[in-house]
Amino acid sequence: MRQVQFWLRWSWRDLKARWLQVLAIGIIIALGTGVFSGFGGQKKWRIHSLDESYERLNTYDLRMTLTDGSYLEKEALLDTLRDVNGVTGVESRLIIATQVDASQDDETILVQGEIVGVDVAAGGPHINQLYRNQGRDFTEDDSGQNVAIVEYKFAKHYDLKPGDALHISGDIPLDFVGTGQSSEYFYIIPAEGVFLGEASYAVLFMPLETVQNIARREGLVNSVVMTLEDGVDRKAVEAEIETRMAQAFPDTGFEMNTRQEDNIYKLAYSDAENDQVTWDIIAYLFLIGAAMGAFNLAGRMVEAQRRQIGIGMALGVPRFWIAFRPLLVGLQIAISGMVFGLIFGAILSTVFGNIVKDFAPLPYWIIELDMATFLRAAVVGFLLPFVATLIPTIRAVRVNPIDAIQSGTLVAKGGGWTKLLNYLPIPGRSFARMPFRNILRAPWRTTLTILGVAVAITLMVMFVGFLDTFVATMDEADEALLGRGGNRVQVNLNFFYPVDTPNIQALDDLKTAEGEPLLAETEPRLMLGGTLKRGDTEIPTMLELVKMDSPIWRPTFVEGSLKAGEDGIVLSEKAAKDLEVEVGDTITLEHPLREGTFSFRMMSSEVRVTAIHNNPMRSLNYMDMSSAGMMGLEGQTNLLVVTPSQYANVNDIKRALFSQPGVSSVVGVQEYLDAFDEVLRLFTLFLRVVQIVVLFMAFLIAFNSTSINVDERVREIATMFAFGLPVRTVTRMQIVENILIGIFGTLVGLLAGWLLLQRFLAARVEDQLEDINLVIVLAPTTILISLLLGVLVVALTPILSIRRMLRMDIPSTIRYVE
Amino acid sequence: MITIDHVSKHYQMGTVTVTALQDVSLQVNKGEFVVILGPSGSGKTTLLNMLSALDRPTIGKISINGQDITSASRTDHFKFRRETIGFIFQSFNLFPSLTALENVQFAVDMRGNGNHRNGSRAAIAQEVLTQVGLGERVRHFPHELSGGEQQRVAIARALAMGNPILLADEPTGELDFRTGIQILQLLQEQALNGKTVLVVTHNREISRVADRVVELSSGQIVRDGPPQGGKAAISDLHW
Ligand SMILES: Nc1ncnc2c1ncn2[C@@H]1O[C@H](COP(=O)(O)OP(=O)(O)OP(=O)(O)O)[C@@H](O)[C@H]1O
Ligand SMILES: [Mg+2]
Repeated sequence: MRQVQFWLRWSWRDLKARWLQVLAIGIIIALGTGVFSGFGGQKKWRIHSLDESYERLNTYDLRMTLTDGSYLEKEALLDTLRDVNGVTGVESRLIIATQVDASQDDETILVQGEIVGVDVAAGGPHINQLYRNQGRDFTEDDSGQNVAIVEYKFAKHYDLKPGDALHISGDIPLDFVGTGQSSEYFYIIPAEGVFLGEASYAVLFMPLETVQNIARREGLVNSVVMTLEDGVDRKAVEAEIETRMAQAFPDTGFEMNTRQEDNIYKLAYSDAENDQVTWDIIAYLFLIGAAMGAFNLAGRMVEAQRRQIGIGMALGVPRFWIAFRPLLVGLQIAISGMVFGLIFGAILSTVFGNIVKDFAPLPYWIIELDMATFLRAAVVGFLLPFVATLIPTIRAVRVNPIDAIQSGTLVAKGGGWTKLLNYLPIPGRSFARMPFRNILRAPWRTTLTILGVAVAITLMVMFVGFLDTFVATMDEADEALLGRGGNRVQVNLNFFYPVDTPNIQALDDLKTAEGEPLLAETEPRLMLGGTLKRGDTEIPTMLELVKMDSPIWRPTFVEGSLKAGEDGIVLSEKAAKDLEVEVGDTITLEHPLREGTFSFRMMSSEVRVTAIHNNPMRSLNYMDMSSAGMMGLEGQTNLLVVTPSQYANVNDIKRALFSQPGVSSVVGVQEYLDAFDEVLRLFTLFLRVVQIVVLFMAFLIAFNSTSINVDERVREIATMFAFGLPVRTVTRMQIVENILIGIFGTLVGLLAGWLLLQRFLAARVEDQLEDINLVIVLAPTTILISLLLGVLVVALTPILSIRRMLRMDIPSTIRYVE
Repeated sequence: MITIDHVSKHYQMGTVTVTALQDVSLQVNKGEFVVILGPSGSGKTTLLNMLSALDRPTIGKISINGQDITSASRTDHFKFRRETIGFIFQSFNLFPSLTALENVQFAVDMRGNGNHRNGSRAAIAQEVLTQVGLGERVRHFPHELSGGEQQRVAIARALAMGNPILLADEPTGELDFRTGIQILQLLQEQALNGKTVLVVTHNREISRVADRVVELSSGQIVRDGPPQGGKAAISDLHW
């Protein structure tokens, strides 16, 4: 017992002497386990939050949507469905498309959207309830009133608040009473390929009766949501509904889907799942980085005690007791790592949660530190310092005591590579050589330190690389989309119109109007959905038919050409790559063919690839307007591209065209890109957090490394001081040494980061980003900043040891022969 | 000229006060060869530390060439050590990552202001190493040298500083008779060349070669004068 006390007291002294190092290693481990648990449990809490949100909003189990253009009497429909076996609740809605004008004094906000008329009687809606973010809830008195709750993401995007001006088609003013969320609109995806729908698509919730009045569909509904008994056979329920509907409303088509079949539901859950893959990689990298750092540092702490261990052995102390001290240090590190890891993990969870909250808002969040993941990380964090101290301890107790005792054979061996360096003349004074010697005299230790720094830099390069790649891809899309026609506006029509119909002509007239005409140029185009096929590969596409001699805008070719009046297709680089075709090859295009005014069928045609264009979006492919005949759309248009005259801007055009018959939306091309910028902003924000963590880790590794260096060389340093070598020279030597380590570490990190970035993004492209031709790059500034930060942070850490050196008791340090 | 004026050094260890030096006063002239003699723990190393401005006395004043070093700043101490003192440590304190030659060259470099090219600085170091009889082992690292060889490198390093005051703490402790004699001769020559040399030893026999022996006991000077029985030629020593 007394012996235990003795060793405990001794190791307590060790701790006091190096508490800063123990703490720093503990924090490094904590960063690893914290990121691991903070990021690693992300899927879990996102799914929890989704579950909670879906449950608390009483989301439907079964949804019935009437075929477009069909409506049924509300009461008749509800009566038909109400007593179906297994159905516990039914509520009907009327959902209609509209245009929303939420323009404020300083900003024109004109977007497409939809109104969801919900039953507000008796405090409803009860199924698919609305979560209120701002303002107030609906009351029964609202029925028939022009009040609206605006979908939260749209409101947030444009910073709209209850009370702000709000109009819908027909110039109907609405009383904007609140903002809210509904589980059917957790993501806003108005159309295929539209990114960040909330900016360009507004969802308004309004009382059912109001919507019926506005849409002149008194008493009618077109959507039903139902809740079902737990464990009921859904197929049976659906079958019974179908029978009843066929009897009651034989002429009305409808579709049914369960909650799990809901696209938004699927997207929300798969997003949480898929994102986790990314975070896992990050988390593992952090853990590896921390492991490397901790291993290196803890090992070196033991290494520094080797002589003492040797003396202990020479004095015949049992190995167990000899190993006890370093292992206690390991324990201390492990405990501080655990404690800080828990704190840090919780902080990260919160920070990260807030970013996710901002990006994909949900009504209810359960952001918790995932204990299972944390425990897994904690076990690693706990074992790590043990193994890290155990291995060098075992190595130390196994050598011949004499080798350990002999002045610095192990700690400060000057052999190995140093021998080589002996013949390499390093210019300058002898103390200019010491940093190089120090680095080479313990190659293994140096390597570990370099790797520790490298891992931190790797992480940073990867993250910033994401951003760079994102930006570069966007820039490319920017350039392709804007080109010379950056001020053009796309006027989407709600159907195909002959170019000489009055409403199209009316637009054309805006060019030639007296006084100050609104438009400079107009050009009819066609936009069609289709599929590109070759062999087994099928790629869905938005095919745009453009006049290839258009003065407004046409695709920029990177290869080949397509002239006005020529047949052929212009593919995106990614589409050509995926289809494995080159200019001159032929592919199969599946496209609509118009047979009657309101009837289309799909057909396949062989088309020749005549050019490749520069937009990274795979789904954008082009043909010349003269190919319209192939689709039976000769002389027709469903998309007008216009440019403002010198008297007008994009907003003027939007305002003027918004209410034109046949126009479904008016979008400036610039707006597409603005939406991306918004995403980038959030992404960047997140990356900043990670970057700080990464730099902090690099700093801690470097700091500890330097601090251990000072420990190991304390007598050398004292001797230099005794010779009158100034503190600043000694510090400079350490800085030189660290610069070398920093440069190597950063270079290795840059290289590893670059390779991982490519592999990682390549893998992601395959499973998620198949629609984009990613331009994987590291911006020169990224490389420069990584180099600078990596080298700088590592290089400057010795400055933190200056105080320690200044306070050094030189005579005692010199006197004491270790 | 070194003037030590009523210097005491106390170490406070909790409630216990250790007195390493007690009211020591001493004058050493330029070019003198002085041996400081005393049993282990008598304060010899402490005294040298004070002289080399590695440590400050608790009480008293030390001035060297008229300059008060007890009240000088830390920065001045560094400069003073760099320009005035050559120190041979009791425990060598060689730089493990530098070869024997480089350890000595370190001292040459410390002299600074030499616009020597690399080669000539190495040549000076080589020359000093040859003086201490280590011309052959210059490319070896300290851990590859014996204790005595390490000590000679340490001496060479102090000599290479080229400073006017040479302080040697037990420079012959690890050496056999012959080499010890050589080292003493070397140190004496330095004094003849005008340097002030203070050599610490607990070996009374060695003290016989000096003009002047200062005997310390429990931190106090108990005797100061020519060696007992008169100065002896180095060749007359027996150890
Ligand atoms: N830092 C310190 N703290 C406490 N006591 C000290 C310290 N340094 C020296 N001493 C004490 O001062 C006294 C003189 O020590 P010093 O090293 O000067 O002796 P010395 O004459 O050189 O002995 P030796 O011949 O063994 O080297 C000793 O008793 C020692 O314990
Ligand atoms: Mg001594």
